[in-house]
Amino acid sequence: MFRYTVKRLIQGVITVWFIATATFIAMHSVPGDPLSGERLANEEIRANLEARYGLDRPLFAQYLIYMGNMARGDFGISFTQQNRRVNDIIREHFPVSATLGILAVVFAALGGILWGALTALFRNRLPDVVIMFLVILGISVPSFVVAALSQLGLTSLNALLGVSILPVAGWGTLLHMIVPSMVLGLGTMAFLTRLMRSSMLEIVNADFVRTAKSKGLPPTRIFLKHQLRNAILPVITVLGPAIAAITTGGFVVELVFAIPGLGRYFVQAVQQLDYTVIMGTTVFYGAFLVFMVILVDLLYGLIDPRVRLE
Amino acid sequence: MSTAAFKFGPGDFEPVATERRTQTLSRPSVSYWQDAWRRLKENRRALISLWIVIALAFFTLAGPLLWRVDPAAQDLDQVSLPPGLPRVALIVEPYVPWAGITATPVPGTPETLAAATPDGLRLVEPATTQAVRLAWDPVPGASGYQLYRNIFDPEPDGAVGLPVAEILDPAQVSFEDRLDLEPTRYWYSVFARDEFGAEAGDYATVTVDLTRVVSAAEAETLGWIDAAGAVALGDEIVLPYYPLGTDYLGRDMLSRLMYGARVSLFIGVVAPLLFVVVGIVYGSAAGFIGGRVDQLLMRFADFVVALPFLLFMILFKIAFGIGPGESGIFPMLVALVLLAWPATARLVRGQVLQIREEGYIGASQLLGAKTTYLVLRHMIPNTMGVILVTLTFAVPTVIFTEAFLSFIGMGVAPPTPSWGSMSNEGLRTMLTHPHELIFPAIFISVTVLAFNLLGDGLRDALDVRMRGRE
Amino acid sequence: MSVGEVPGGRTARRHDEPALLAVDDLHVEFDTYGGVVKAVRGVSFSVRPGKTLAIVGESGCGKSVTVQSIMGLIPMPPGRITRGTAMLDGIDVIRQKVVDGEDIRGSRIGMIFQDPMSSMNPTMTVGDQIAETLEVHRGYTRKQAYSRAVELLGMTHIPEPADRAKQYPFAFSGGMLQRAIIAMAIACEPDILIADEPTTALDVTIQAQILDLLDELQATTGMAIVLITHNLGVVARLADDVAVMYAGQIVEKGSAEELFHECAHPYTLGLRAAMPGNDPTREQGLQAIEGTPPDMFDPPRGCAYFARCPHAMRLCEENRPERFEVAPHHYSSCWLQHPAAPLEVSGLYRGAAA
Repeated sequence: MFRYTVKRLIQGVITVWFIATATFIAMHSVPGDPLSGERLANEEIRANLEARYGLDRPLFAQYLIYMGNMARGDFGISFTQQNRRVNDIIREHFPVSATLGILAVVFAALGGILWGALTALFRNRLPDVVIMFLVILGISVPSFVVAALSQLGLTSLNALLGVSILPVAGWGTLLHMIVPSMVLGLGTMAFLTRLMRSSMLEIVNADFVRTAKSKGLPPTRIFLKHQLRNAILPVITVLGPAIAAITTGGFVVELVFAIPGLGRYFVQAVQQLDYTVIMGTTVFYGAFLVFMVILVDLLYGLIDPRVRLE
Repeated sequence: MSTAAFKFGPGDFEPVATERRTQTLSRPSVSYWQDAWRRLKENRRALISLWIVIALAFFTLAGPLLWRVDPAAQDLDQVSLPPGLPRVALIVEPYVPWAGITATPVPGTPETLAAATPDGLRLVEPATTQAVRLAWDPVPGASGYQLYRNIFDPEPDGAVGLPVAEILDPAQVSFEDRLDLEPTRYWYSVFARDEFGAEAGDYATVTVDLTRVVSAAEAETLGWIDAAGAVALGDEIVLPYYPLGTDYLGRDMLSRLMYGARVSLFIGVVAPLLFVVVGIVYGSAAGFIGGRVDQLLMRFADFVVALPFLLFMILFKIAFGIGPGESGIFPMLVALVLLAWPATARLVRGQVLQIREEGYIGASQLLGAKTTYLVLRHMIPNTMGVILVTLTFAVPTVIFTEAFLSFIGMGVAPPTPSWGSMSNEGLRTMLTHPHELIFPAIFISVTVLAFNLLGDGLRDALDVRMRGRE
Repeated sequence: MSVGEVPGGRTARRHDEPALLAVDDLHVEFDTYGGVVKAVRGVSFSVRPGKTLAIVGESGCGKSVTVQSIMGLIPMPPGRITRGTAMLDGIDVIRQKVVDGEDIRGSRIGMIFQDPMSSMNPTMTVGDQIAETLEVHRGYTRKQAYSRAVELLGMTHIPEPADRAKQYPFAFSGGMLQRAIIAMAIACEPDILIADEPTTALDVTIQAQILDLLDELQATTGMAIVLITHNLGVVARLADDVAVMYAGQIVEKGSAEELFHECAHPYTLGLRAAMPGNDPTREQGLQAIEGTPPDMFDPPRGCAYFARCPHAMRLCEENRPERFEVAPHHYSSCWLQHPAAPLEVSGLYRGAAA
């Protein structure tokens, strides 16, 4: 297990290097000089940046400077906001996105497992049909539509009752987080429900469940210890990619609900072509996702004994 | 046993030759693709989805030929029009200014004023979209009048709506409304004002139904008719028709949805085709060559998978740049292919490695089959099913990606319509004109739903393990 | 227990012994897209205490479905038990699985399966899975149950049972895992152990060890065994009584000696001829039974074996054979046993009725 962990971590570092390099290449193939144009507020920033990134030097030298800065965890200074460090931007806005994301992942995973198991138990009966219809709907409706409609619904609900039960937008209290995190987790929850359902249906007919029945175990015990425990495994394997989907899906939810997260900031930076912020955020998100996937894989090793020995 | 002895004669115990040594099976024997097609046909959801996909293809390809309305043409007189039946307008005289009605003010005390309600509120002449002319009886002691207009009945909450006029002259007991008149029903309310300019007493309300009218000259300017002389007063002319309404710039929704479908479905179908082909070539190369090359190729694929997909879609989008007048469809295709191929490559490689070990490949080789024959006869038919399913599931993913990017303003460049960019524009007017968001959203959802269900059906139908189950 | 030990005594004793488990007229059907499969069509047999009953037949003849429907293990739907009872101590276990708050499965009837590798939960340790049965049926604490589980692993000759109990199934070999499953099935000292093709998935050398183990455990615990197999070698080695199944019905039933030496049904005869042996007197090599079993979507009206039977008679095609008692407690469902049947078939035992 220890060797496996070290191996995965080394792989992760190499992957982050690849992401950083790809980001560098992508941003340096942008037509024209990133520092030209009226976007750059004043000469002072320009001079600073030129010195800092060696923009007058050959591309490979720039790459080395860039990688050196990245290795030290220095993402540079914003192009559009004077003297604002990208690190500070991330430090300020990322916790908001992370809180939203964690809530959404928890919501999606618990919901997916619960609904998936329920539909499998009531296969082809009313609860199954109803839940699977909602799931198909959840998979097919784009997240921004769900976000917009839920905001519209919330506005009308608050207006109807005359009191504000849940805030329609903004950030701060737990109440602000409920609706956005549910909207954010909805698509993933629908996906996990489907996965859990098919996994449960496969397990229901598994030989070891038949063995458990032949031992005369009570149905609840068979369900919890033999079916659920094994059916969850495939759900956990896709949790890494699911976190990635939720993190980037957060952009839309942050935009619609006016949440001051890193995603909203990233979209702003893209629209203003704030190169350092775009590069810094991309590499930061990439690294975050890579290590989340590793974490999920290690977690999987703890639950599935078969992985532990490899 | 004794009864049996009576039942059967000696002849019954004569030996017979049983020639049908092998029994025939009562089930019909079906080939793989026949069986898959049978199961797909039995899957009602998949079949409906297939029809929806066919209908969408018709809508996209043949739609613009049948509904010839320019998706970029703006009708500024019919902006954010809700869906509905064709609209007509009555040809009338050009607008003539109205002097209004005056009456001698009636004196009164503040007390009577506080209890007063304006009487005799009435339409002076039929209400049209040209003008609504109202008059009422003077209120004793009033220093002026205050008028409101609402699109809902003010009762019972007293919600009188939008203030449309403040009349400071107590002699003036009429009002002409020409403000953004729509051919619908309005509720006009009038208050009397006290000497301090505050509203006094109760209000009176009149319900007014407006008729859409236009003068011949105006109709010609707007392009509704060819020549002003061709119509007579009192004629009804039919306005340009928008069955699904218009957007915030007065562009036809139906036509935009059709052209948007061309963009969204083009990206949604072509991008998966391209990256699946790239994936097949890459994956089968890795699988066939094997060894070090395979390791190296697949490690590179792992790296590409690790790139955060949507972030890099945005990065590539910026990197390619969009010149003026370009739609941005091509850069999006390239970015999708660059980022999305590894999934198919992994799948195909796995299939190749698996099938290579199958007994029938060895058997075929023993019989002297050449590599090309093996690939054509065994490899391709056996991977077709999996690839077809991957392709079907890739379509909704790509449509979602396009919609997402267009939504955050990183998709196809305006004015090119796509369902994603239409949703983005519709979001701004969601509260007042929900149809501008709902139509493209429904099209995205139905398309994604159809492809998802079709993919499910195909996967179940092509899965050999499902044979004989259900 | 070897063949021909005390031929007379065994038969005589059987009259007095009450059956431990008596299955009567069992019918099981499955709904499939092609129609209704009549998998079991009127099966009756009884299991004597402390003895081994072997149910023999080709793949798909319904032998596994028979025992699985008794244990309530067939998926319903699509499966359906349309008729029949299985009486254990006056209780029909097909309809009543829980007696006095306790499931008879695991406590009074244990079961082991064909493929040990997939028959254990991959995410629980072997020790925990054995202990689980004891916790549920015996009310043991976790610790008690676990230490008993280790003892049981020892009883089934698993080396270093304390260490092995901590391991997960994937760390076991097939043979070891089958031993662990046997330990699990006998944990509550059941009256009957149902073994559904327990050696089919194992190596030949391991098969013998598992059979020896079953034999040994029967001797020490006195439990009855219902052994499902298509291997006549296994039958010869272990069985006291044998029931031969064909196309969802029992065609011949009797003691092991009778079935091997006085077999009274052409199908049993065919099975025997198809079995390898080291009998030097045998003139011919192995003889396969030509043809395939009938399609169970539409079972034949008469004798199911008609199409493959070398001795078929005119009445066999349309008339279902009666059950003839060829010797006390030795039954054969074949028209050849009818008094009017004129044929003399080589190797076929003609009973008293004929």
